Amino acid sequence: QLYQNPVNPPTTKEQVPLYQPQEKLVGTVSIPDEKLSVLVQPEGREWREFRSYWLRVVAGTLALGMLALLTLFYLFRGTIPISKGRSGRWVPRFGGFDRFAHWTTAVSFLILAITGLIITFGRPLLIPLIGHEAFTSTAYASTFLHNFFAIPFTLGLILIFVAWVRDNLPEKADLVWLRTLGGVLNKAGEHPEAGRFNAGQKLIFWAVVFGGFALAVSGVLLMLPFSVTGIGGMQILHVLHGLIASLMIAVIIAHIYIGTIGMEGAFDAMGRGVVDENWAKEHHSRWYEEQVLAMRANDGRPMHHRAAE
Amino acid sequence: MLVKRSTGKPARGSLARSLASGLAAGLGATVDRRGFLKTSGLAAGGMAALSALPATMIRKAEAGPMVPNVEVVTRKNVCTHCSVGCTVIAEVQNGVWTGQEPGWESPISQGAHCAKGASVRELTKGERRLKYPLKLVDGQWQRISWDQAVEEIGNQLLEIRQQSGPDAVFWLGSAKFTNEASYLFRKLAAFWGTNNVDHQARICHSTTVAGVANTWGYGAMTNSYNDIQNAKALLFIGGNPAEAHPVSMPHALRGKERNRAPYIVIDPRFTRTAAHATEYVRIRPGTDIPMTWGILWHIFENGWEDKEYIRQRVYGMDEVRAEVKKWDPATVERVTGVPGEQVKRVAELISKNRPSTVIWCMGITQKTTGTANVRALSILQLALGNIGVAGGGANIYRGHCNVQGATDMGLDVSTLPSYYGLAEGAWKHFSRVWDVDYDWMKARFASKDLMEAKGIPTTRWFDAVIYKPEDIEQPSPLKAMFVMGHGGNTVTRMPEMLKGLEKLSLLVVADPHPTTFASFQQRRNGTYLLPACTSFETDGSRTCSNRSLQWGEKVVEPIFESKDDYTIMYLMARKFGFADEMFKHITVENTRPVPEDILREINRSCLSTGYTGQSPERLKMHMKHQADFDKITMRASDGPCKGDYYGLPWPSWGHPELRHPGCGVLYDTSKHVMDGGGVFRARFGVERNGVSLLADDSYSQGSEIQDGYPEFTMAMLKKLGWDKDLTPEELNVIQAIGGDKPDEVSWQTDLSMGIIRVALKHGCVPHGNAKARAVAWNLPDPVPVHREPIYSPRPDLVKEYPAIPDRRDFRLPQLARSLQSKIAESDLRQRFPFILTSGRLVEYEGGGEETRSNPWLAELQQSMFAEINPKDAERLGIRNGAMIWVYGPENDAKAKVMAQVTERIGVGTVFMPFHFSGYWQGESLRGNYPPGTDPIVLGEAANSVTTYGYDPVTFMQETKVTLCRVEPA
Amino acid sequence: MARMKFLCDAERCIECNACVTACKNEHEIPWGMNRRRLITLNDGVPGERSISMACMHCNDPPCAGVCPVDCFYQTADGVVLHNKDLCIGCGYCFYACPFGAPQYPQTTNFGSRGKMDKCTFCAGGPEVDNTPEEYQKYGSNRLAEGKLPLCAEMCSTRALMGGDGDVLADIYQERSLRRGYGSGAYGWTTAYGNADKGRAFGPGASGSKGS
Ligand SMILES: Nc1nc2c(c(=O)[nH]1)N[C@H]1C(S)=C(S)[C@@H](COP(=O)(O)OP(=O)(O)OC[C@H]3O[C@@H](n4cnc5c(=O)[nH]c(N)nc54)[C@H](O)[C@@H]3O)O[C@H]1N2
Ligand SMILES: Nc1nc2c(c(=O)[nH]1)N[C@H]1C(S)=C(S)[C@@H](COP(=O)(O)OP(=O)(O)OC[C@H]3O[C@@H](n4cnc5c(=O)[nH]c(N)nc54)[C@H](O)[C@@H]3O)O[C@H]1N2
Ligand code: HEM
Ligand code: HEM
Ligand code: SF4
Ligand code: SF4
Ligand code: SF4
Ligand code: SF4
Ligand code: SF4
Ligand SMILES: [Mo]
Repeated sequence: QLYQNPVNPPTTKEQVPLYQPQEKLVGTVSIPDEKLSVLVQPEGREWREFRSYWLRVVAGTLALGMLALLTLFYLFRGTIPISKGRSGRWVPRFGGFDRFAHWTTAVSFLILAITGLIITFGRPLLIPLIGHEAFTSTAYASTFLHNFFAIPFTLGLILIFVAWVRDNLPEKADLVWLRTLGGVLNKAGEHPEAGRFNAGQKLIFWAVVFGGFALAVSGVLLMLPFSVTGIGGMQILHVLHGLIASLMIAVIIAHIYIGTIGMEGAFDAMGRGVVDENWAKEHHSRWYEEQVLAMRANDGRPMHHRAAE
Repeated sequence: MLVKRSTGKPARGSLARSLASGLAAGLGATVDRRGFLKTSGLAAGGMAALSALPATMIRKAEAGPMVPNVEVVTRKNVCTHCSVGCTVIAEVQNGVWTGQEPGWESPISQGAHCAKGASVRELTKGERRLKYPLKLVDGQWQRISWDQAVEEIGNQLLEIRQQSGPDAVFWLGSAKFTNEASYLFRKLAAFWGTNNVDHQARICHSTTVAGVANTWGYGAMTNSYNDIQNAKALLFIGGNPAEAHPVSMPHALRGKERNRAPYIVIDPRFTRTAAHATEYVRIRPGTDIPMTWGILWHIFENGWEDKEYIRQRVYGMDEVRAEVKKWDPATVERVTGVPGEQVKRVAELISKNRPSTVIWCMGITQKTTGTANVRALSILQLALGNIGVAGGGANIYRGHCNVQGATDMGLDVSTLPSYYGLAEGAWKHFSRVWDVDYDWMKARFASKDLMEAKGIPTTRWFDAVIYKPEDIEQPSPLKAMFVMGHGGNTVTRMPEMLKGLEKLSLLVVADPHPTTFASFQQRRNGTYLLPACTSFETDGSRTCSNRSLQWGEKVVEPIFESKDDYTIMYLMARKFGFADEMFKHITVENTRPVPEDILREINRSCLSTGYTGQSPERLKMHMKHQADFDKITMRASDGPCKGDYYGLPWPSWGHPELRHPGCGVLYDTSKHVMDGGGVFRARFGVERNGVSLLADDSYSQGSEIQDGYPEFTMAMLKKLGWDKDLTPEELNVIQAIGGDKPDEVSWQTDLSMGIIRVALKHGCVPHGNAKARAVAWNLPDPVPVHREPIYSPRPDLVKEYPAIPDRRDFRLPQLARSLQSKIAESDLRQRFPFILTSGRLVEYEGGGEETRSNPWLAELQQSMFAEINPKDAERLGIRNGAMIWVYGPENDAKAKVMAQVTERIGVGTVFMPFHFSGYWQGESLRGNYPPGTDPIVLGEAANSVTTYGYDPVTFMQETKVTLCRVEPA
Repeated sequence: MARMKFLCDAERCIECNACVTACKNEHEIPWGMNRRRLITLNDGVPGERSISMACMHCNDPPCAGVCPVDCFYQTADGVVLHNKDLCIGCGYCFYACPFGAPQYPQTTNFGSRGKMDKCTFCAGGPEVDNTPEEYQKYGSNRLAEGKLPLCAEMCSTRALMGGDGDVLADIYQERSLRRGYGSGAYGWTTAYGNADKGRAFGPGASGSKGS
């Protein structure tokens, strides 16, 4: 009479869901804070793996890999010259609006990337150098700047999109360009025919548009944590943001290379808004012809790009 | 640098001690972490601009509770939020309560608290407390001085007394009072000249008190929380201690673990208590008698009852058998909804694992059949021979922190302190104690009849305001109400309460908070709010559920302009002009009566419940030496209290000098009476219809009378020849009391306590040794019978199980059968298809005004809700978290609350917590509170939709079964 | 050496929230911040169990791993603390923490969410022990006073225990033996690894995978 068989909970132990092996457990809390109803989320561990290991590996590999590749390429190919030399005549290429849009985006991007990388790599790289306290200031400033420059970046992105989308729609010629890789490996300086933007640039454009918007969307959601999703969603957003950022950083490194030391005459387009006639003929023959035609129709006056009007 | 916040060695229990020893090893090494920080070159400074701490974590240093290098004084008090009576350890610096520590040494709580107890420190920060006296002038709150308040209130009350008689004032006291304040308030009402004085027990355990006192003598929990650890089976019925008495749960869960005891919960809700059950029985609300008789049916059927026990100690069980016969499994299932198999299993579990304990609370008591419910469960325990046995018992969990004590102190419309009743003898006894002339006392009342007539109870005070004068059996309807420590949202039928409130000419609320009474706009003048302080700002004793008295030390001085209850009562008495008479034997310092003196007066007068051994000195000693008490038996094994039960659970017979240890388990014959043993009380005569009511062959150990015996009187002493044991002084007193009839002086009225002493000396219990009554012939239902609730969800059963006939009591009419049948015959059931029941949340207490003002608690329950089953919700298109209207069947009542869709509640039933107020029919009343005193969380009051229905014995309100309709809002 | 741990025995926890308000009381935690909270699983149906959860002070704490400014540190007795002067409020520790322990004063705010706050095992922070500075930023430092976490000390049913992990494991094992089954110390293995796996009735025993 004294001792009973083990008396189990109403249901047996096996029927108490809590005691069943399960990965994630979500219950209820009386405080009005949904995210606190997660009891255990073991994927925190995977996320931590990603954040403190894979993100660094991916971002580092992509960025450094791209730099290494470009260095090799530079050693092999050097600056791609204008094969006919500079003509001295200028063809207008990007108006004030184009350049405003580009540089707004570009500068913001660079700041975002640098501040982002500071957050990503500061702990292993900067803390040993400047100490915890100084790094916290740096990191805090970085997040602040990162958040702040998200705004011009997004605006620039929209402008770029509006300004250049029409010239970046894919066309047949892009296939040829891609097949020959834009003739970059052709020392003779033969470049396939291209319109205002060649297929490579189009790729950059779309990478920037899609990547940029993806970063903007994921970034804004990271700034407003838990506004639309729970903890799992936040982790995914962060992973996406980090991976896309890493990819874009690599792509943009290449872009910057081409736009500067990679190719003679290219920078002028964004720097001054005009390009050397020979550069135009070589890289964007079809566009050049269109420009010439338009110029004629326009009494010989220099002609700005449509979008700049 | 180590700045010690606590002086002296920290008090801790064994778990903590073992943990702490591990800790010591670890502590030295924490230095390393500082080393680590040094190398990281930390210093605040340049950081300030960028990394400013968010405002929410910044506190002014002086606001933080910890002030280093300031002396810490530790004070011990008792949690004010429920009857478990957990010890609160307060650390006080510079007169401010700055830290709270676990009270490891308390045998009851052993360091534990629930959410409320762990946050009581906030009470003396009191951000939302009433800060000074206020008066309502044309709907505006006006600050006034205490002097002005007492003067104006006093004048108005005296005028009402003059014009309408003393019974026109309703004195509503509190189970939050200390014993001393409860006693004093009862005395105040007596001196004022009325029995219209009541407190929460009416709406809480009045039916328990009536039910069990009528069964075996005393209206109290028989065993203790701790003793549940000895139980071999636990039956919880109509109680949810996991929320309402959380610190009783460690005892219950330990019992479950140690003894692998079956743990059965009978409740319409799958409560948090049920979550730990081994057997959960979902019952239709209001069918506890059928359920109990159903269990007993199996017990009788299988001969599981304790036949010898019944023969020796129970009267009238055969009449019960006859009633139980009607409750075969099929009938039980038809009425309660519980499958026959399960009822049988429950019966078997509690029969085969004895001692088994039955634990009940509001699901049993707050019923139109409350007293009968209580009686049925008592009879069940008698049948199993579980009363008077460690591990068994009727463990009736009381409500407020001192509802047991306040009841014992007679803060009640039907009795003077210590259940002496209202008869002439009782008044004479107390006139002697108070040292006032009986005739003077009588002259305070409107008439001798009214002096001896039960007053108007809390549940019906507003009826006594709004009913036609001829329906109220006193000279005048109520004109004024003086409320000390009672919420305004805790009595049913609030729409009608509002009508009463509007019609009162004077309303005085003396409370730490304005209470719901203050938030209604019905009154624009004639309301006074007096800031009373809490029990942490005064001292005195409180009696927890297991009858232990605990002395609470004042932690801090009353905050703001608040005053303690003693002072407020003194100021009123002085204004009324009878302070000198009333405080004849009580020292008053300035205007504060000294609680120790009040307790001494209680010790001198409350003989019948054995409130005599608990002198202030002994109680204080117990608090100081808590550590010496065993954590299960609650008996001190060492130290100055050696042999005592903790808190001298009453009865502690005779003078304190006798050192009676108190009774851990009531009616326990296995012990000598001086060792805490006892027998059933002989209260109802010695025989009935030729059958003896005294015990047969049963007596407490060591008794010189080895059989039943009646209560002790002088005559009986003489018959036994024991009168020779009385001292001359004792004889003198008896002579003086008895006058020409000294033989009639009984143990209850002998102020010398000589009769008690002599009885004890011979091993006898002064109150006699009788049988418990399975049949209580003086009650409306001598043997409990099932009666459907007034608002029965089963109109088809109403004819078969009707309510009692309409009647009058407590100066008022009581409708029952007529109302019930009218409802059953109408289409009400179709329009109100849900059963509505109500109850508690762990975070809030009572009307909730205190706890909803405490941010640490309020954050955890931010909205009033109603639980509804997913099936019903789906049918009605209600989503979890959506707003709904709950309509009540009377007075177009309605409440707008949030839907909590959960299977916790059965199909067809709706549950609402009753702790909310401050909304009325969808409108917020926040603006009506005096500025700065509105509780943080407001919500609709459950009682705005509860309905008519009263227990015939005590006028207990029906809060647990009514009908309602639910619609999406 | 004592290794401080928390153990919440779901067979005992009755969701009374004492641990939660004790914490609020002890450290004067403002509204909206929940160093400790109660999570109920299968609310209202048989099998309902509650767990009191705060920072578990993990072995190899994920929060510390992801913190970009490296502001966490683990004391010699295993308590995971952080330095609010260094924290930039990025919220990463919350994403990494398996138990949702870190809390922020601002849930949504462009940029910083304010200094992260979490359960300190009542061990204060990097400031000098038991100074007003320490109290303001981290709450009180009971460990330095020779006391254990108040939440666990006040737990109504002794479901929640905080202290030397070995002692806790022993107490738990004894309890489970008495009960005849041993599950319910949820979070133990997630936080502290599988060290106790060997014990049939230990807190890391059966049914606690992924927990
Ligand atoms: N947190 C908290 N604790 C408290 C209080 C508080 O306000 N808040 N108040 C204190 C006071 S004053 C009291 S009296 C106690 C009350 O303590 P309890 O009585 O335990 O609390 P309740 O929630 O009112 O009701 C108990 C149970 O009765 C069930 N019930 C309803 N109708 C029936 C029925 O017909 N039959 C059966 N068998 N069960 C039914 C309900 O579903 C509920 O689960 O708590 C005390 N402790
Ligand atoms: N629908 C429904 N209604 C119910 C119940 C139910 O289950 N359902 N339960 C009923 C039960 S059991 C009870 S006991 C009642 C409880 O109902 P009440 O007792 O009315 O509820 P409380 O809000 O606790 O009221 C106590 C008041 O005392 C004040 N107070 C605290 N300490 C002191 C002090 O030291 N001195 C003075 N003067 N005042 C003090 C508090 O501020 C508070 O306003 O509710 C009943 N009402
Ligand atoms: C310092 C850095 C940069 C330099 C020097 C640079 C230079 C240039 C130049 C010269 C062009 C014109 C190519 C042409 O004539 O068609 C160009 C185009 C463009 N740039 Fe950049 N750029 C920089 C950074 C960026 C960044 C950060 C982004 C976006 C995130 C970006 C997005 C684009 C896009 C979308 C175009 C149009 C497509 C293309 O020509 O590839 N640039 N940039
Ligand atoms: C609209 C645009 C963007 C928004 C709103 C945004 C927002 C954010 C936010 C909120 C974070 C979390 C950091 C913190 O809270 O401290 C973050 C991290 C980061 N962002 Fe962005 N971002 C944007 C664009 C970019 C871009 C364009 C890049 C770079 C190419 C970038 C790279 C990063 C990186 C590397 C991290 C750090 C990830 C880590 O270390 O965990 N972001 N971003
Ligand atoms: S409310 Fe009751 S159980 Fe909770 S701490 Fe206070 S006395 Fe203890
Ligand atoms: S529980 Fe969370 S916050 Fe605490 S140590 Fe583990 S990971 Fe860090
Ligand atoms: S919120 Fe603070 S502590 Fe948490 S990861 Fe970010 S910087 Fe570190
Ligand atoms: S250990 Fe201290 S800080 Fe942590 S939850 Fe408990 S009380 Fe709060
Ligand atoms: S105090 Fe203990 S029983 Fe109560 S909720 Fe916390 S862990 Fe559970
Ligand atoms: Mo109560």
